[in-house]
Amino acid sequence: MKTKVLLVGGRSKAKSLATSLISKEYQVTAVNNTYEDCMKLAEIDGLTVIHGDGTRPFVLEDAGAGEADIAIALTSKDEDNLVICELCKKEFHIKKTVALLTDPQKTDFFYKMGIDSVVCAISAITGIIEQRAFMDKIATLVPIGEGRVSIAEVPIPGTAPAAGKKLWEIDLPKQVVIGCILRSDTAMVPRGDTRILAGDTLVLISSDRQEMAAIRELTGR
Amino acid sequence: MELWGKKTDRGYTVVIGCGRLGANLANTLSDGGGNVLIIDKNKDAFRKLSPSFGGLAVTGDATDLSALREAQINKADVVVAVTNDDNVNIMAAQLAREMFQNRRVIARLYDPERECVYRELGIDTICPAVLSAQEIARILSEPDAAEERVRESSI
Repeated sequence: MKTKVLLVGGRSKAKSLATSLISKEYQVTAVNNTYEDCMKLAEIDGLTVIHGDGTRPFVLEDAGAGEADIAIALTSKDEDNLVICELCKKEFHIKKTVALLTDPQKTDFFYKMGIDSVVCAISAITGIIEQRAFMDKIATLVPIGEGRVSIAEVPIPGTAPAAGKKLWEIDLPKQVVIGCILRSDTAMVPRGDTRILAGDTLVLISSDRQEMAAIRELTGR
Repeated sequence: MELWGKKTDRGYTVVIGCGRLGANLANTLSDGGGNVLIIDKNKDAFRKLSPSFGGLAVTGDATDLSALREAQINKADVVVAVTNDDNVNIMAAQLAREMFQNRRVIARLYDPERECVYRELGIDTICPAVLSAQEIARILSEPDAAEERVRESSI
C-alpha cells in the first residue's frame, strides 16, 4: 500500500514537494485555500487537490486525513500550521505531522504541542547562505537530529594548517570528531596518531554548531 | 508589581485582540477596578476603548513570544484571547498556557469544530454561534414571553 501524504497550504513549496513525492510513489493530496493555487496544483499528474481552509476539520476530512500517514503544513502563517498539525494529530490520529515555521523562537513550543517535526525555514535558509557565502571549501554539510548535529565533508588543500599533522596535534573543539578520512579511493577511520595529508577529505561529525570553528582550524579559512 | 502603583489584589487580566468583544471586556474589567492590559497588532483598534479605560494598551503581535513577555503575561491571573482569527486565538492561548504557565486561559472560537484542540489543554472556549443558538432556542421555548412583556407594559 502506498504511503499517503497530506500537504496543506503553500504554493510553490506544495507544488515542488508534491511533484517530488509523486515521483517517489507516494499518494499525495494537497489542500489549498486559494482557488488559483488549486488550479496550478491540479496541473500536476496524479495529485488530488482539495480547495478549502485546511484549518477546518471537515476540509481535512474531505481530503482523507483519516487515512493519511503523514501530514505536512506549509502555510505562511505559523498559527495555521499549528492548528493544522494539532487537528491532524488529535482528530485524525495521523502518525507523523510536519510543520513549517517562520518564527524560530517558537520551535520548542511547536514540539511541546506534539508536532513531530518542525522545519524552521528562516534558520535553515540563513544557515545555508552562511555556509555558501563563507565556507566555499566545504563540499557538503548535512544537518541531522534537527540540526543539532551536522556531518561535513572537508577537503584538505596543501595550504591547510592541518596538512601533514597528526590528529592529536590539531586543536579541535571538544564537540567535533573526525569520523573518517577519505584518501584516494579508500576510507579509513582515524586514530590519534593518524597523519592528515594534503588531498585528503575529512568527514567531520560535530554538535552545538562547532563545525565552522573546526573547519577554520583544519583548513585555515 | 510596581507597574500598577497599588498591590495587584484585584487581579491582572491580559486581553488579546481589541475588537468589539475585547474592547468591551477591557472597559468593563477596568471600570470594575481590575488591572487590564490589552494587546492588538493594529494601534487604531484601541479607539474602541472608552476614554475612562485605566489599563495599558500595547501594540504588538500576540503570537510573538517577545511581545507576550513584554506584556508580562506570566504574571497575569487570566488571559483572554479574542482576536477575530480562531487560529491566532488558539496559538495565543496555547502559548499562554504552555510557555507562560497561565492557569486560566479563555479563548473565543467562531468555529466550534476546532474545540477539540483545546479540550485536553484546559483552555476554556467561548463560541458565539453556539451561545446565540442556545439563547434563541431559550427564547423560542417560551413563545409568549415577548408578547406578555408587551401586554404588561401596555397595561
